[in-house]
Formats: sequence, structure tokens, C-alpha cells
Amino acid sequence: MRFKGRTWSLLMLLLAFTIVAAGCGNSGGGKGASEGGGESKPVTKNNKDIVIAINANFITLDPHNAGDTHSISGARTMYEGLMGFNDKMELVPVLAEDYTISDDGLTYTFNLRKNVKFHDGTEFNAEAVKINMERIMNEENNLRMRKSFATVADVQAPDEHTVVFTLSQPYNAFLNKAAMALMISPKALKESADITKDPVGTGAYKFKEWVQGDRLVVVKNEEYWQEGLPKVDSITFKPVPENGSRIAMLKTGEADFIYPMPTEQVSDVEGDSNIVIDKIDSTIVRYVTLNTMKKPYDDLKVRQAINYAIDKDAYIKVVKSGLGSKLTSSMSSMTQYYSEQSGYDYDVEKAKSLLAEAGYPDGFEAELWGENDSESIKGMQFFAQQLALVGIKVDVKSMEGATLSDQINSATPENAKIQMWYVSWSPSSGDADGATKGLFSSEFFPPAGANTAYYKNDNVDQWIKDANASVKAEDANEIYANIQKQIWEDAPWAFLGVDQVITGKRAYLEGVKALPDGSISVIDAEVK
Amino acid sequence: MSDNSTVTVHSSVPEDTLAKSPATGKFRAFMSKFMKQKLAVISSGFILLLLVLAVIGPHIVPYPPNEPNYDAMMQGPSAAHWAGTDEYGRDILSRLIDGTRLTMVVSLSAVFISAFLGTILGLISGYYGGWIDRLIMRGSDVMFSFPDLLLAIGIVAILGPGLSNVVIAVAVFGTPSFARIIRSVTLSSKESLYVEAARSMGAKHNRIIWKHIFPETIPSIIVNVSMRIGGAILAASSLSFLGLGAKATEPDWGAMLSMGRDYLSIAPHIVYYPGLLIFLTVLAFNLIGDGLNDALDPKTKN
Amino acid sequence: MGRYAIQRLLGVIPLLFVVSILVFMFIHLIPGDPARLVAGKDATLEEINGIREQLGLNLPLWQQYVNYMGDLLKGDLGVSVTSGLPVTDMLASRFLPTIILTFTSLGWALVIGLVIGIISAVNRGKWPDYIGMLTAISGISLPGFWLGLVLIQIFSVELGWFPTGGVDSWQSYILPSFTLGAGIMSMLARYSRTSMLETMREDYVRTGRAKGLREFVVVGRHALRNSLIQVVTVAGLQFGFLLGGSVMVETVFSIPGMGRLLIDSIGFRDYTVIQALLLLFAAEFILINLIVDLLYGVLNPKIRYASK
Repeated sequence: MRFKGRTWSLLMLLLAFTIVAAGCGNSGGGKGASEGGGESKPVTKNNKDIVIAINANFITLDPHNAGDTHSISGARTMYEGLMGFNDKMELVPVLAEDYTISDDGLTYTFNLRKNVKFHDGTEFNAEAVKINMERIMNEENNLRMRKSFATVADVQAPDEHTVVFTLSQPYNAFLNKAAMALMISPKALKESADITKDPVGTGAYKFKEWVQGDRLVVVKNEEYWQEGLPKVDSITFKPVPENGSRIAMLKTGEADFIYPMPTEQVSDVEGDSNIVIDKIDSTIVRYVTLNTMKKPYDDLKVRQAINYAIDKDAYIKVVKSGLGSKLTSSMSSMTQYYSEQSGYDYDVEKAKSLLAEAGYPDGFEAELWGENDSESIKGMQFFAQQLALVGIKVDVKSMEGATLSDQINSATPENAKIQMWYVSWSPSSGDADGATKGLFSSEFFPPAGANTAYYKNDNVDQWIKDANASVKAEDANEIYANIQKQIWEDAPWAFLGVDQVITGKRAYLEGVKALPDGSISVIDAEVK
Repeated sequence: MSDNSTVTVHSSVPEDTLAKSPATGKFRAFMSKFMKQKLAVISSGFILLLLVLAVIGPHIVPYPPNEPNYDAMMQGPSAAHWAGTDEYGRDILSRLIDGTRLTMVVSLSAVFISAFLGTILGLISGYYGGWIDRLIMRGSDVMFSFPDLLLAIGIVAILGPGLSNVVIAVAVFGTPSFARIIRSVTLSSKESLYVEAARSMGAKHNRIIWKHIFPETIPSIIVNVSMRIGGAILAASSLSFLGLGAKATEPDWGAMLSMGRDYLSIAPHIVYYPGLLIFLTVLAFNLIGDGLNDALDPKTKN
Repeated sequence: MGRYAIQRLLGVIPLLFVVSILVFMFIHLIPGDPARLVAGKDATLEEINGIREQLGLNLPLWQQYVNYMGDLLKGDLGVSVTSGLPVTDMLASRFLPTIILTFTSLGWALVIGLVIGIISAVNRGKWPDYIGMLTAISGISLPGFWLGLVLIQIFSVELGWFPTGGVDSWQSYILPSFTLGAGIMSMLARYSRTSMLETMREDYVRTGRAKGLREFVVVGRHALRNSLIQVVTVAGLQFGFLLGGSVMVETVFSIPGMGRLLIDSIGFRDYTVIQALLLLFAAEFILINLIVDLLYGVLNPKIRYASK
């Protein structure tokens, strides 16, 4: 009996070991990177109902108040604007057939597409555009979109298919902003108590149901104005926050399309013939802001030293699992008016000598802030490891998003505690203004904006104004080249990388894709 | 997140029985009973080993635990790296050994803090009764009805990130269950003859509480401390899962597990070893708790 | 008993009132500005101030509380800061998944826990006891999120038996309820074992044995009944734990329940939603324990409720 008890207890301990071991072993079962990835069960699609798993909830379906990428994606399934973006984020007319811009850049005239109907059967016309613009610009509504149209002085509808926008001053990014203003049925606006619960647009899909936090279902718009579209019956969006669960859904076929595809697991499914991974360069840039008003970051040499101390290739390899590219300006190459810069190649010795010149031969102690998602934590750790090699001891502080935002925005420029901030940025409408003004103009020090480097350069301030006021694209292009060159030299950031937008989908699905800003386009969705 | 009330309740059975036995002077009897609990003995050995590691760990690690090697990322276990390397090419074994101290310090200090606070509150509540008792107990009711995770998020958010705040967060939501247990032990021992006697001889409240009642509660405290340590380790790792735990740079087991979960399908060893170690450690603490519970229960006759 | 129940129910009201004040103070202590979070990274100050005014966040804190309570007493839980939807609507769609999840978890934990506990107690010190207790204790020795992820890997991806998550069918609740219930199961198993051992030493059980009743009858009729009472009481107390655990399980298994809503709302400092959820949790917890107390009386007629 005595003996038996001991034997059993030992056996049990062993058993516990094996159970756990088996669990872990199975989970990776035969899927080691070296073995080239396992094959998921082939699933054929008998219906035309698509499920898309994304990493966060839709916050709102009001297209004039949506700020996050997912809400915008959701709204775009049902709504369209005068302008829109193609796969490369280039501007194309959608509900407008064409447009003209006056020479002084103050008058935009849109000729509207005819025979377009809202889902409720009412006609899309110039009056509808006017009513939508009035809604956006009405101060009482306090909609997010309002600031984009701050320069609009007047909207007129001279005839049923013509709309004329008059600006108070030229605004170069106006067409980009126009692409963000999606058109809601005036009838629905008037009659519906809450347009977020019952969206009515002109898009390829009609609203079916939205259970906040669970799913958004849109169904085929049989009377869509583009011939032959859409090709699927319905699309269901599901928020699946946990990376591991999202990819599991793709493997089992519970989801037909997932975004984002976690970079770490791309290699795991790449050998699987049932799954297709798409990667495109994005407008999402990753960087660390350096507080240029604070010691020792107020010294240009220190900021440059930090830039030299970072091995950008290693950053892509370690933090992005090799899927990304180096950041070679203050914006991504996918953003309008991008101009490539060079320099800051990885050079530890140069970094050390710059630090020595600045009076910090032994480095210094620094604090790095960032959010607490695993992506950021990983990047921050890497950053700290790199700076440690040149003697800068970095204390990594990851904070919950809301707390971090509070820390950043509750300080005046002079007493700001922020030193370095690991962060990403993506201009939602792909325009250079969105990638520049809020980040580098001295009017936008927190809490007024996101210039957390407290970067102030009088030339840059002036150029940003000039660029916005410029009418011709080539003028804007030249000014933005100057801006980017100056910022690169002043190094208010440690420039790190540009994300790839990576999506995973079942092989039978075509036409669903992510755009460079991370929004998802489903208009061409098709089951093969 | 953790077995908040688990322990409370579990030991509310022995707690009144424990109270009936004089807690002191029975060490030998206790040891002989405890040694019969095979699983608990093995577990004690394991925990002892961990404690030794926690002390000498930094001196015996094969590699510097925080030094990355980007040329040796995510390698499986090998002769050079017994437990493989992680996503930065750091040696996982070294990090686990080095992290023992961190994990132990966090969980032990959190539990000791809640034991300390809970004991004081429980003694006051049980001994004085009346409005102060009602206040403390209603307070702990409120705490129980609060999802402890939210409490932890709130605490970390208010106090800011960092290990010491994780300790506080874990300690705070462990306190009410200690208070409840100690209160019920206090209640029954308050009625015992020698406390009555002491009171009738005019002893001061303070003296009665600390000289007569407190010793009665010690067995309950010991049992619950050992059981809650496991819960505290899990709670801390859950906080890491939510991004509110230990600093990611530090080799805390929970942080290793939660950061490594993105690699579950391509490099499972990154989560395998921290997971196994957490599992075994928590298991061991719980088994010790169970063993202590049995050994300290006077009704147990083998 | 009816009178007792009513008395207890009335007693809930002041408790909820205190909870409401505490919750209100607590969440306003947490740093973070909902107006800014809703407005987004590229918001202008003007925009943020506009939102703040819309939400009444520029009022003094006590006035915000008075307004909130005023609406609450009228049955109006307010509007979500983030989504602009009425909180009542949001809760309505999130309520059921969490309730199903917690009850299925509790259900199977109770059954398995009791079975393990009884087997262990009856076979005390023998191998079924060891296996039983090890299984039980293993249940609370794994971080929930990790157990969940491993279960998905094995049973959804590798074997394809169950969905990875969601709430589309009853099968989708199997893995999450297993994950969430594991901790409770182990606790109930240990608890019922101890309490079985206790009752089996009681005089009336011994008498039963001495009278030559079969072990089966002794265990079944006397010991089990008695420990059942205590186990049920314990199970009720686990609700706070289950609701807390549901946060993690709902995240891993993408269940659109109240736990996820809580995490999302905390992220945005969506005060109205957090308040409503916490009050609901507290009410639920108190109510469940009230029911358990009453049940206690049903299971054990020896207890009479003293009504003062």
C-alpha cells in the first residue's frame, strides 16, 4: 500500500508532464518552420457568403464620423463618395464621372454619375451631395469629418448632376478628403432616428445587421450601378482580437479572409495550398519620436546617433519577421508626394562618436514609452537592445493606450515628461498632408496634435502651409520633397520601418484585398 | 483571472476545525502527517529547488539572459541551448532560471501582503463584530462582486506600469478572501473557553487578539498562503496577457508565455517551457497547500 | 421564507447604491480621457472639447454622478461614448453569450467536480484519490488564456472537432466553457472531497455503517446530501471569478459577451458602459448568492430563517 501510493504519485506527476507536453507538441505538430508547413483541410465553398475576420470591433457605421480603419472599411462596403481609391490608393472618380478644378484652386466642379440609386430607391443627385456636405460641416453635429472640410466655403448644386465646391483658400488634399466623404441617402438621414443602426448608401452591398462587437453583415445590392458587381451574396465581418484565434479560423475555413495576418505566423501557412497570403507595402510607418525640447534629445548629434545606432534590417527581420521595409523618409513610399532620403545606415562606431561629440561618451539613461500590444512591446524591446550597444540604457515603459494618451496630452511642451515614444502612423486618406502637418507642424504640439517630438522648424512650418495652398501637383511635390529632406536631416524621429499589409485568405476567394492603409476592399469579392 | 474565492471557500471547512486544536507545540505530529502526503513532499522538494534557483540563478545561467542574438532566433532545443532560443535569439533556459527570482518575488510578496492585510482585517472584523464587522464584510462582498481582472487593470492604470504595481494589484484582490477566512476562525475561537477566561481576567483586547486568537489562525494562514501563491503566479501572467504585467524586457515567466504566444504554431518551444514551468510550479504550490490542509486538520486519522 | 427573501432583496438596494458610487469614483480615477480617445489620434482640440461637452464630461464630477443616477433611476443607462449606441442595446446583445458561457462552465464544473470529489473521498489515500486530485489541481494550474489557445490548436485546427470560437452554434461553447470551468471544477472537486470526508466521519453516517447499510447507500444518502449543500454554496461564490475569467476566455474565443465589452470599454474609457456592466455584475453576483442562500434552506430543512 505504501509502496503503491508513492509509485502512483510519481506516475501521476509524469502523466501531468506528458499531458502538457502532448498539448504543446500537438500544437506545433509537424508544423515546424523547417518542415515547410502543414496542410490544412481543404474546404470548398458551396455558397457565396464570405466571412472576414478582423482584429478589432467596428466602432461606428456613421461614415462621417468614422475614424478608425475598420469602421471606414465597413462603411465603404455600403457607401461611396464622389471620389474613391483604387488598389494603390490612387484617387479615382466614383460617384462623380469627372471633375474640373479652377486655376486658382478654389473651385471644384463635379459632374455626377447618372442613374445611381440609394438602397432605399431614392435617386443620387446633386441635392443629395449638398445635404451630406451640410451634415458634415454643421458645427452642431461635431462629426470627425468636419475638419477635413474646414476650407469649404460653399457647396452649390446648379443642376441635378453638377456640384460646385468653393474653397476659402486652396487646399491641395481636397480631393483626398472628398474621397472620405461618403454619401448617405437624404431620405434615410431625414427619417432614420439613428443612421448608424440603419445605413443607406449607394454601395455594392446593402446593410443587413450589425451587432456591435459581434458581426456586421452586408448583402448583395442587386441594383448596383456597376454592371456585374457584386459577385457574392453576403459578407460577414467578425472581430477576432486574438492573433492565434484569427489564424486558427483561417486554417479551419471558418473565416475566408483575415486581416491582419500576424507576421509571426506567415511562414507557418505559406506552404499550405488552401491558403493564400497577400503582402503589399503599406502607408503605416513605425518610428520613435525624440522629444527635441528635452535634454539630451535637444542635441541634433544625439538624435542622429540614435538613428545610426539602429540596424533597420535587423528591425525588419526580428520585429516584422522579415515582412516590411526600411523607413526612408517621414512617410511611406505609398503615401502621396513621398521623396526618398538616404543616410543613417547602421553604424555603431559613428553613433558612438556622435554621442561622444555631444558630450555623452558613455551614453545616458533614457525612457521609452509605447502601447502594450505585443507588436509594440516587441519593437520597443528591440529598440532598447540596439541602443544598449552604444551605451544608452533604455527603460521600456509599455502602457495601456488610454493611460499613455493621457500622459502625453496632459502636459505642456515645457514640462512634458515624454522622452521617446514608439509609435506608428498612417494617414487615413493617403495624403501627404495627413502624414505631415499633425506630426511636424509646431502648431500641433500635444495636446493640440501629435507632434510629440515637439519639432519646430520655421521653414517646415511655412512649407506645410505652402504645400496645402499649392494648386498644382508638381508644386506640392517639390515642397513636400523639401519638407522631407529637412525633417530627415533634423531627425526628430528614429526612423524605423514601413509595415506590410498582410492578409490571409482561402484559395477559392478572389477580389478581397487590403489597401495600403489597412482598409479592406470587398467590392470585387468572388468565390471561385 | 485567479481563483479568487477558491481558497476562501475550500478551507472554510477546516478552518473551524483547525481552530479547535492548539496550533503550537504539535510540530512533530504535523511533520509526521505531512510526510505521509507524498505529492506534497515531492512538491516541497520542487519548490525548494526553485527557491535555490531564485537565489543562485543569476550565477549559473549559461548565457546572459537579456542578450539578444539575431543570428540564432527561434532555434529549437539543442546541445547549445537546452530549451532553445526565443524571438530575439536569447537563451530560454537562462531566462527561465533568471526569471525564477522575479516570479517568486512577485507572487510571494503579493500573497504575503494580502495575508497580512487580510489577517488584520479578519481579526478586527471577527473579534469586534458590530458595525466594523459589517463594514469590512460588505466591503469584501463588493470586492468579490467586482471582476478581479478589472480591479487589476484599474490599479495598474492608476498607479502606472511596473512590477511593484503588479504586486499591489494581485495583493489587493487576494485580501478579501483572507479576511473572510481569518474572520471565521476568529469567530469560533473567540467563543473558546480560554479566550473567555482571559477576557474575564480583564485582559486587553489587543492582548487577547494577538496572544490568544491570532495563534489559532496561523494554520489557516499557512494553508491559504501556499494555495494562493499559485493563483498569484497565474494572476500575474494573466496581467501580462493583457499587456499590464511585468516589463516585457524582464524574464518573468508570465511575460515570456504571453509574449511567446504569437509563436505557438511556428516555434512552440518558446511557450512550451515557460508554460510547463508555470504549470508545475502552480501545481506544486497547490499540492503543498492540500498536504498542509490535511496535515493540519486534527480530524484526519490515517 | 418568502418574507426573508423579500427582506434580503431589499437589502440589495443600499449595497448596489454603494457599489455605484465606488464604481463611479474608481473609473474616474483611472487616467484617460474618453473624449480624446473617441476623437482619435489626429483630432483637433476643438473637436475634443466638442465631444467633451456632448458627453457632459466638462461638468464637475459630483454633477456627472447625479445626472447619471438620475437617468439610471429612470431606467436610462445612457449612451455609449464610443459607439453612440444606447447602453441598454449593447448590454442586451452581450448579455446572453456570457450567461450561457458562465452557466455551462459552472454546470459541468459542478458535475465533474462532484464526481471527482466523491470518488476521491471514498477512495481516500488510494490511487483514484491521487488521480482525481491531480486532475483537479491541474485545472487551476494553467493560465486560462494559454489553455484556451492550446485547446483551439488541438481540437479546432488539428482535429477539427469544434469551432474556434464565436457563438454560432452550441458546439462553439464547448471549448470556452471547458477553459473557463477548469478552475472552478478543480476547486469544487477539492471542496467536495473535504466536505465528504467530514460528513463521513459524522455520527449518523457511522451509525448507518454500523447498522450494516451498504457503503453505496451511506455515501449516496447521507454523506452526499450533506456535502451537496456546502458545494452549492461554494459554487455561488464563484460567480465573480467566472465573470472575471470570462474577460480572457471571451477574448481568446472571440465571444461577443460582456467580458469582451468590458475590456473594449475600458480601452476607450467608455464610462457609461463600464458603469452599467459593473453594476450588472454586482447585481448578478448578489442575486446569485441570495438564491444560493435560499437553496441552502431547501436542501437543508434544519435551517430556519430568522426574520427580525
